[in-house]
Amino acid sequence: MIAGTQESAQEVCSLRVGDTVFAVPIARILEILGKPFLQPVPLAPDFVGGLVHYRGEVLTGISLRRLLDMDPAPSPEDVLVFESPAGPFGLLVDSVGEVLSVSAAAYEPNPSTLDSCCQALFAGAWKLPDRLVAALDPERLDPLRLASAFADSRKGSHARSGG
Amino acid sequence: MDDLTREFLLESQEGLDRMERGLTELESRPADAELLAEIFRSVHTIKGTTGFLGFPRLEALAHAGEDLLGLLRDGRLKANPDIISGLLALLDRLRGILRSIETSGGEGEAGLEDRVTIARLEALQRAEAFVPGGAAESSVESAAAAAPTSPARHFSRGKSRRPSPSRPLSPLRDQPAEAGPQGNEPAAPPAPEEPEPASASVRKKAASSPRPRAAAGPSAPVATGVSPESATADSTLRVDIELLNRIMNLVGELVLTRNQILQASSADAAFAPLGRRLDMVTADLREAVMKARLQPVSHVFSRFPRLVRDLARSLGKPVRLELEGQETELDKSLLEAIRDPLTHAIRNAVDHGIEDAPVRAAAGKPAEGLVRLCARHEGGHVLVEVHDDGAGMNIERIRAKALERGLVSAARAAQMSEREVLQLVFLPGFSTADAVTSVSGRGVGMDVVRTNVERIGGKVEIDSHPGRGTILRLRIPLTLAIIPALIVRSRGQNFAIPQSALVELVHLSSEEVATRIECLENAALYRLRGRLLPLLFLDRLLHQLPRESAACDIAVLNADGRRFGLVVDSLADPEEIVVKPLATVLREIGFYSGATILGNGEMALILHPGAIAQSAGIGLAEETPEPASDAAACSGRDDFLLVETGGQPAALPLETVVRIERIPRSRIERAGSRPVLRFDEELLPLSETTEKVADPNAQTTVVVCRDGARQVGFVVSRVLDVASGHSLRQAGAASSTPGVTLLRDRVTTIVPLSSIPALESAEEPPASGEQP
Repeated sequence: MIAGTQESAQEVCSLRVGDTVFAVPIARILEILGKPFLQPVPLAPDFVGGLVHYRGEVLTGISLRRLLDMDPAPSPEDVLVFESPAGPFGLLVDSVGEVLSVSAAAYEPNPSTLDSCCQALFAGAWKLPDRLVAALDPERLDPLRLASAFADSRKGSHARSGG
Repeated sequence: MDDLTREFLLESQEGLDRMERGLTELESRPADAELLAEIFRSVHTIKGTTGFLGFPRLEALAHAGEDLLGLLRDGRLKANPDIISGLLALLDRLRGILRSIETSGGEGEAGLEDRVTIARLEALQRAEAFVPGGAAESSVESAAAAAPTSPARHFSRGKSRRPSPSRPLSPLRDQPAEAGPQGNEPAAPPAPEEPEPASASVRKKAASSPRPRAAAGPSAPVATGVSPESATADSTLRVDIELLNRIMNLVGELVLTRNQILQASSADAAFAPLGRRLDMVTADLREAVMKARLQPVSHVFSRFPRLVRDLARSLGKPVRLELEGQETELDKSLLEAIRDPLTHAIRNAVDHGIEDAPVRAAAGKPAEGLVRLCARHEGGHVLVEVHDDGAGMNIERIRAKALERGLVSAARAAQMSEREVLQLVFLPGFSTADAVTSVSGRGVGMDVVRTNVERIGGKVEIDSHPGRGTILRLRIPLTLAIIPALIVRSRGQNFAIPQSALVELVHLSSEEVATRIECLENAALYRLRGRLLPLLFLDRLLHQLPRESAACDIAVLNADGRRFGLVVDSLADPEEIVVKPLATVLREIGFYSGATILGNGEMALILHPGAIAQSAGIGLAEETPEPASDAAACSGRDDFLLVETGGQPAALPLETVVRIERIPRSRIERAGSRPVLRFDEELLPLSETTEKVADPNAQTTVVVCRDGARQVGFVVSRVLDVASGHSLRQAGAASSTPGVTLLRDRVTTIVPLSSIPALESAEEPPASGEQP
């Protein structure tokens, strides 16, 4: 790597959900679990995809698909483990891709036209030569924060059906 | 905060705890030289270190305390309740400042209170509790001799600004009441107090003070010896609780890996012994780590002498506290959890349990009330009891109060036994009544006690004898981290039910589901031995897909006195599960108290029976345990556990059955010629089994029974049923035939519990007759 760009470059991990590619700064990822067993939790908030076993702890797995109102994943998902003030939690994604080096100059905050749900989840986007990659911010995915956000937005419309 | 300060805080807090214990003991043994020396050391150490670290407030206070304690130690002052109160006040001051250092890093401004405390201590030095005449003279000599040789004294000598302790003594010995050099505060009132109703003396049982008393008189310089603490300090180590938790977690992981290895290696004959070895080492490791978290209950008990003393003094009742079984050990987190309930119970016992002195005198009881706090191990639990010898609880008033509060129906109240009535005080809503304080004696805030104890998987019971006192029993599990649970399945998912809530299990075949589950409007009910049991369906509760399979199992649960049946698809094995906390988001659902990872690597959510019952509106009062009249109605009949062993049915008296275990055959070991089973630290003698063992990993069933004081295990092929048996009269004989009963219209052998010989007599040939 060229010394001049070192301070402005950042390593991010790309991940895929459906056809969308996201990226998270590598420094924020505690561990990547490949297709672990997921234990469903009945009555849990919608965005909880299940429990994940991680080093003797039981983590809450946040489903990115459910957050984006997508259909359930057709195949087992990968899990990224992040740290939050209340302890680690998992993020379920279709698959983890590669490590990309992106420069700070390529980063731009969320466009104002983005819908409010995505505004809340994404931090911004990296402009790669061939495509845009949405930047995920683990802090915004903290289950506690999601829970309060969802409680606010979905009050009244108790969307959960009996099944 | 730097390491030095942190260490100082820890040490000082421990020192103050020791001082508090010592001071309350001092009340019953005011001349105990060793005790005084120990208290002196605690204060002296604090003084020495504070000067060094630069905490002038602490130093000034500790200095004042040290002067007074020095006089006591050298036998020139005799401890009396006033002096002890003054020293306790000093202790509280010191604690407060330590807390302030801990939170803010500084000791805060020296205020008026410090001066008052110091003045009080100085006044006490001049009080006329002086030992008159010869004793004082001899102690002056000894002080001169002892002080410089004491190592503690040496330590502080260089920086001590304190005048030699013998300086103020000579004039004071002659005119004890004369005001001191400061002279601006009134001298303490004459010491001989009025016949002292307010003194609470504390007596520990002999076992708790193993140290030999110093045999010499009051002048014996005790501080010259090596302090008893220093010996233990060398062999112990402070470990961060976080690190212990982490080790515990890793051991949990190891247990899982072990289980998987055992499963994978069962096919390979060469690997099996290795697997078993790993199994044993892991079990021992887990136990050792759990032990590391155990602390003696004295850590909590030690604060109660002070509590009782202060309370007794403020109420003007003489009360003595006896502590027993202080060495009993309990997990640290559980110890913390019982601190508040116990404090409350003891406060209640002193405040409401023990009568006022005139009432006691009229009842012919000793004027001094007695509160006894004891702890002991009992069957995998720790039993903590708070006894008082007070008036006991008024059963009729409790019954009336519960009726008035609408907690029970009139009919129900009328048929309740005294014991059942007593348990009503644990109901929420009972003790909030203002008037209860005076009528119930001990019932105040008991629902809080119960909630706190049940939160950690414990149980509370109250027992009261009018005129003779009340006993509160807390049954606490040894550890929180690992609980016995039954794994059940609903819609292909695992759930764990804590054994503590489980009463019994009922299996319904598909035909029985249709006929035996009845409905009253929307409420599903099951007739359990003639009484209606409300049913909750786990799959419906959890909004799972509707059921397909018809056969099901009912887990009969008793959660905080709420009794209901939880219908699940099927039962899996009971397991000791390691409780993992859930994220707040999932805890808020309310139905789960945690999660666990099972032996096969799958996860299971741990159900919270209390919360489930509450959300479903399962009532409390109408769901009290089956009335005793049931048992009376079937007198002449006994319930039996019907088992199959060696292809024959056999009966075990149900009241002796403790639990039923499913274990792999390989866990049965031999001690001499006897088969035994190892549970934690206990050895369970087993019955001989004639069955041929093909697969050492095959599961077998062991029925654990209580036989007098011991427990024994019966190896059986299957558990069939619970049924009541009729005793049969031998033809021509007047008495019923021992050893057989009529069970489901068949004559069945009752297995004699004594057929399993005790392990001590392992060499004797096993008694015959246990194998039909």
